[in-house]
Amino acid sequence: MNGDTMSSTMQNDASNLTADAVGETAHPLALQVRNLDFFYGKSRALHNISLDFPERSVTGMIGPSGCGKSTLLRVLNRMYDLYPGQKATGEVLFDGQNILAAGVDLNVLRSRIGMVFQKPTPFPMSIYDNIAFGIRLHERVSRSEMDGRVEDALRRVALWPEVKDRLQASATAMSGGQQQRLCIARTIATRPEVILLDEPTSALDPVSTARIEELLDELKTEFTIAIVTHNMQQAARCADQVAFFYLGELVEVDSTARMFTTPRESRTQDYITGRFG
Amino acid sequence: MGTEPAHTVTRYDQELDRLRGIVARMGGLVERQTAQAIAAVVDQDEDAALEPPELDVEVDALERDAESLAIRILALRAPMAVDLRLIVAVLKITGDLERVGDYASSIARRALKVEPLDGAMSFTALRGMGRLVQENLHRAIEAMANNDSERAMEVWNADTAVDEMYTAMFRELVTYMMEDPRKIGPCIHLLFVAKNLERIGDHATNIAERVYYAVTGEMLPAIRPRGGAARKSS
Repeated sequence: MNGDTMSSTMQNDASNLTADAVGETAHPLALQVRNLDFFYGKSRALHNISLDFPERSVTGMIGPSGCGKSTLLRVLNRMYDLYPGQKATGEVLFDGQNILAAGVDLNVLRSRIGMVFQKPTPFPMSIYDNIAFGIRLHERVSRSEMDGRVEDALRRVALWPEVKDRLQASATAMSGGQQQRLCIARTIATRPEVILLDEPTSALDPVSTARIEELLDELKTEFTIAIVTHNMQQAARCADQVAFFYLGELVEVDSTARMFTTPRESRTQDYITGRFG
Repeated sequence: MGTEPAHTVTRYDQELDRLRGIVARMGGLVERQTAQAIAAVVDQDEDAALEPPELDVEVDALERDAESLAIRILALRAPMAVDLRLIVAVLKITGDLERVGDYASSIARRALKVEPLDGAMSFTALRGMGRLVQENLHRAIEAMANNDSERAMEVWNADTAVDEMYTAMFRELVTYMMEDPRKIGPCIHLLFVAKNLERIGDHATNIAERVYYAVTGEMLPAIRPRGGAARKSS
């Protein structure tokens, strides 16, 4: 009888897993990528990508170097526009609008879709000004309101207790993990809807990495998050859905639990199990 | 599964191969235990009766080896997808095999106390049931070795026949005991042997379920085919 009870418990757990995964797709979509192609000059870096980013959830993007995952991230807030010769075709729908279209106000777009990079990029100014800088770009706020906004942003990234007594100190003197959390604080201070993270913890130690991951878990209650990571375990820990890219193609996208236990594509399986040539 | 390209890290493949090797060795021993236990009863073979409890020592040791290697791989390699499913299946399957070994030993220890009853009840039914259980166990172990989900499915479907045979034996033995209280002793021994065989059949089905999951990533449905009457009456 024991064996029977055990096997039916296992099955129940499995169906819960699936129910959770299905529950994730119930979120409305923050971003919809449709038939996206991307070119660096004549070389095509993304092939006909279609991918949904559900609101208030974490989408992890994985794949070997050069697979196009960072390129896709750079398309989502039109970072590539800074470089001549780079071109995207297709659609990226954000609030019903195609952000790839001409005439989109890039400053507004980038305040609504913020980005955090691999290496912490604090500005060479005080901790306070690092946060205030972005807010001042987009809004005119009073001194006292600015104080509140800075404190709020620093609290949200759990940096406040560590820096509240030295807000005027230079941000570049902080540790790497603190700098990265400062960059996330700077990004959320402008109240974006989507946060893009490109390998945000690859330069950090395990404790700082765990802090950032914990932070993602909190931030996703409010923001839509897309994270590119080389660390498979990180994608497994943080993401609600995972997309696997290979040679500029989106091979597979599924709930994280399904992706890491039962991927459908053999290319995905070979990559995540460490069997890549 | 089994046809994947090699891991980039060779040592990882070696560890997984070692794990598969331990399970295969366990499977072989447990099959031998079961075969000897059945022979001990139906042929009243004294030598055969000694073997299953002896082999059990090695079976238990192998289960511990498999567990510690599986934990080591989980901790050090963070296995994913097909590798993860293999390791989870191995942990469960070795548990099932160890139980089968225990049941076989228990049958063997009882073997020489069992005696054929006069009249209708002979070892014929037990022999038939034993053959079927052995066959299912063999197929489950084969499915495991060859990552064969279809074979696993066959085993999963075949357990109904074992359950039905057990139910029939149970009824028959109860009838004998009611007719003649002097037969209660031998009948009880026979009943225990039959019950143990039926449990071995269940574990073979469990193994088939794990193999199916490891290979396909899908769980078989919670309700599996079985002879319900045996459950209710036991």
